[in-house]
Amino acid sequence: MAFIDISAVSKIFGNTRILENINLDIEHGQFVVFVGPSGCGKSTLLRMISGLEDVSAGTISIENEVVNDVEPALRGVAMVFQSYALYPHMTTFQNVSFGLRMAHKTAEFIAARVQQATGILQLDKLLERKPGQLSGGQKQRVAIGRAIVREPRVFLFDEPLSNLDAELRVQMRAELMDLHRRLGTTMIYVTHDQVEAMTLADKMVVMSGGRIQQAGAPLVLYDDPDNQFVAGFVGSPKMNFLPATLVGADATGVRLTGIGGGGNAVLPIVGITVAAGPVTIGIRPEHLRLVTEGATSPECLVLEGRVAIVEELGAESFVHLDLPDSTRVTLRAGRDAGRIGHTARVALDLERALLFAADGLRLRGRGLVQQ
Amino acid sequence: MSRTTALRGPVTVWTVLKWTLAIAIAIVAVFPIWWMFNVVFSQPGEPVSLNPRLWPTSLSAGIDKIRMIFTETGYLGAYFISITYALLTIVGVLLIASLAAFEFSLFKFPGRRIMFGIVMLALMVPTAVTIIPTYLLTSRLGWLNTMQGLVVPGLASAFGLFMLVQFMRAVPKEMIEAARLDGAGHFQIYWHVALPLCSNAMITLAILTFIQTWGNYMWPLIIGTRTEMYTVGQVVGMFNSPLSHHTVDTVMTANLLAAIPPLLFFLIFQRKIVEGIAMSGTKG
Repeated sequence: MAFIDISAVSKIFGNTRILENINLDIEHGQFVVFVGPSGCGKSTLLRMISGLEDVSAGTISIENEVVNDVEPALRGVAMVFQSYALYPHMTTFQNVSFGLRMAHKTAEFIAARVQQATGILQLDKLLERKPGQLSGGQKQRVAIGRAIVREPRVFLFDEPLSNLDAELRVQMRAELMDLHRRLGTTMIYVTHDQVEAMTLADKMVVMSGGRIQQAGAPLVLYDDPDNQFVAGFVGSPKMNFLPATLVGADATGVRLTGIGGGGNAVLPIVGITVAAGPVTIGIRPEHLRLVTEGATSPECLVLEGRVAIVEELGAESFVHLDLPDSTRVTLRAGRDAGRIGHTARVALDLERALLFAADGLRLRGRGLVQQ
Repeated sequence: MSRTTALRGPVTVWTVLKWTLAIAIAIVAVFPIWWMFNVVFSQPGEPVSLNPRLWPTSLSAGIDKIRMIFTETGYLGAYFISITYALLTIVGVLLIASLAAFEFSLFKFPGRRIMFGIVMLALMVPTAVTIIPTYLLTSRLGWLNTMQGLVVPGLASAFGLFMLVQFMRAVPKEMIEAARLDGAGHFQIYWHVALPLCSNAMITLAILTFIQTWGNYMWPLIIGTRTEMYTVGQVVGMFNSPLSHHTVDTVMTANLLAAIPPLLFFLIFQRKIVEGIAMSGTKG
């Protein structure tokens, strides 16, 4: 059994189903990130693990013990809130030591633990300051210190970096990774920022509409998404989706027409059993490239579009093209790759393209056609 | 120069009217208090003579009158009763109102809205309506002419509850949850988190309760029939009564002594009172 086992968990508020049949295993020491758009239920799931929210159905177990009815403080979990939730009338020392004081630990024990935790987080010089005298990053560290000092079995983070500016967020992200490496404790982290999720997670859990859409290593989700939602959510710039019509499938692959307003192609995926009809091609921006006039390639589909936006990032640029059917595609290119308003030709690497059914599910074949 | 002009703004008819009205109201409010000082700190009869004076003339005369009131009447005992009554009421109101506000504002429980609605309805019921049943109950408990009879019926303050609920609603829920995760029990969360965060509101409520208790006339009059249970309000009432045989300057001295504690309180804490009331109105 996994370290944390979430089995058939649902959450119902009144008549609204917030979470629906959640099943998830978390191994000891893993850094798991719940990611998804606002309202997808990721924070609710975290709060259910913490015990702050009741479980409507199903079970949550930590180290083989069902904790559904165990008080939050007795679950061995510690949580860092988005707003830090520091007590404004207490100093850093008092904030960090609050849990130990509530547990009636001795003064020496508390002092030693606080010193250890604040040492790790470089808070030693701020022990007498109150939250009002601390910067956003320092407050964040105090909140983490308050969690560390209790030596929990599981750390829970509820969008802890959302209130920080971009630069500090990157710095704190690195510090969290370092902290995880040093402590080796299981961490569950909630965010709506997929970049944060990709960089931090050992296991990334993409959620939407109260369900887990897919869970796995970040790169697995990036390369091999189960559905169009995950494909579109993971990755920045996001995956391009081109509507097409499936007309048939044979040993050479899947025959598609009407791609981007008129392109025809054979997608080298075999073994798909689906009726002819509308489908969606998904292809990442790095699998598109600008080509010169007249260039063709058997494994690439070349489409023509008008350059709508060019985002120059220095080393590279993102070029946004409008295809004849008004589908907008984005591709990664070098500097000065396109001129706004000009026509450009773009080649799609069909071997890297994914296919999604009309209901958004991934159409997986038995494999790619062997070249 | 231009800054001064800008701050003052153009003098319009409206500005003049506004200031005239404000000054008139201030005179009406301040004059009786000033007149009290004037009468006390003057030779007997001087300010109310045919040729009245508007300013005090004798500090020693005033001190003599104050000494006379304290030594020759039951005023000092009444002061003690009033202060005890006020302090006990403050402690009780703060404790009960804050405990109730903690539950009403930060936790959900069945019947919460209805119960809070009933408490709020109590705000609209005038004291005179409930005074007879309260008296009967207190009397049956054998609490007439006792300190508990004076204090206990005033401990459940609907206003205090309303005010503290407004404050505690502003306490972030995450802070309470963090305390729960830190292992704090229900009472510990109240004591270590909610209460310190509402200290400003508690101070305001303490001041308002003091002013209200000190000025409470009706309940002490009904419950305390024996002279040793008289509060300052009752003693001053006796001075003021038509058959008291006291001269106007003695009556004024008794009134001045009764007015000093709430006046001092207000002068010292007026910023806190205004802040507290303003915050309770906007933070809810």
